[in-house]
Amino acid sequence: MRDRRGVDKKRVEDLLRLISFCKTIQSAETDPFDLDVRHYLAILREYLKRWRSIEDLLLDGEAVSELAKVIERQCKWIKDRSTSFYLDPALIELKLKLMEPAQLASAFFKAWHPVVSLDMLTPERLKEGLEYWNALLPLNERKRGLVESPLSEAGGGTIGFEDLIALRIFSETEFREQLQALQAELEARGRTEYHDFVYVDDFGDSIRRAYLTSYLVSEGSAGLDIEPLEEKIYLYPLPAGAPTQRMPVRMPKSVPIAISYEDWHKWRKKREQEQSGR
Amino acid sequence: MAQEERARAERKVKKAAQLLLFRRHHKPGVKGWELKKALGEDYMEIIEILNSILLKLGLEVRMISESEVEVVAGASGGDKHKSKDRDNDRFMVVFKEHLIDKASGLRIDDVAILSATLAYLIAKQGKATRKSVEDFLADKFPRRRVISMLERYILQGYLKEDEEEKTLCIGWRTRVEVDRKTLMDLILAA
Repeated sequence: MRDRRGVDKKRVEDLLRLISFCKTIQSAETDPFDLDVRHYLAILREYLKRWRSIEDLLLDGEAVSELAKVIERQCKWIKDRSTSFYLDPALIELKLKLMEPAQLASAFFKAWHPVVSLDMLTPERLKEGLEYWNALLPLNERKRGLVESPLSEAGGGTIGFEDLIALRIFSETEFREQLQALQAELEARGRTEYHDFVYVDDFGDSIRRAYLTSYLVSEGSAGLDIEPLEEKIYLYPLPAGAPTQRMPVRMPKSVPIAISYEDWHKWRKKREQEQSGR
Repeated sequence: MAQEERARAERKVKKAAQLLLFRRHHKPGVKGWELKKALGEDYMEIIEILNSILLKLGLEVRMISESEVEVVAGASGGDKHKSKDRDNDRFMVVFKEHLIDKASGLRIDDVAILSATLAYLIAKQGKATRKSVEDFLADKFPRRRVISMLERYILQGYLKEDEEEKTLCIGWRTRVEVDRKTLMDLILAA
């Protein structure tokens, strides 16, 4: 009995070692052919008959998945080396070390086709600037507002929930209610572009929605999808449940999203145009 | 009637030039759907006309998608473009010919760092750990300077960083602006 338990433990350890090896190959730039896939597949096939618990089978599944990723890497490796573009990294490294900065710069300039783009002020933009200027309070009035704020005593920085309660912008109950209402709205709308969700007709309300949305994301009630090429951020509801069940285990990441009066103004104008077009 | 058509097409070409040349977002260029909205369904034809005009000035329109970068073809390539959905591609104008080095305001050291980083990454199949890149560059430049330049090139889109994997790879801007084969040929020939 003890022997069998010992053998099972060894098999699990083999699998964990294999998974770790596969992950090392994927993260480091080692040769993916260092791992004998055929040999490990034979081992997995042999072990499969002996697994009893669901945990063992899950581990087996993970090992197969990691092996598949290594095969994918091997495929890419062969593809890279079979193209004429393949260059020996060691040779390139040596060449680069021997070259003078001027030579390197010259090579870059000969291969560089920069994007042409211009910044220019238009009368429309000047008009927007003037509108902003007219709506802006004088500096001393804005400063006075800051001095009177309890935030200034705390030395400024970020505005937390407690600060908002102290400022009497929210009460705790009201805050929770508004958070739930916003969550219900997101669930009804489904996956939505972030700014389309946050921006509404009033700029102040838009800021409030952005603030509440940040709570929805931090608490795991909503997720963010960032599309760098599209330059868009999508917001989507996450199913109810414990936060750990809702969100995959990943490194915590903070995503700064700028909300500005100008951006909001542009959004409102665009929406008005779309509505008048209809 | 033909004159009206011609005038309409000319107006659209001018509008396309404005859209492509003047920066409207953080990233230069415009998306296909924005062009479609501003120029109509036949926007690819308008872009082809604009491209033929730009070519005479040594410029050309390039399209970048998630996976590839393409040059706008002339009239003969029209069918190819029509058959593919371009709405999510980004359209940009680039210099077709390479620049004379004095045309850039960049410091020679800064360009050398970018050039060496790109060559290093290309030789490693487009991806390497950030630490290995920093160590490699620190051989010739102070580490603090290397780190600040890498940050700048990440911001500008020449490099892309995966913070979780702690790796650097080729960014969208390198894909659009740098002829990687020419760069590597020149480095090998040096």
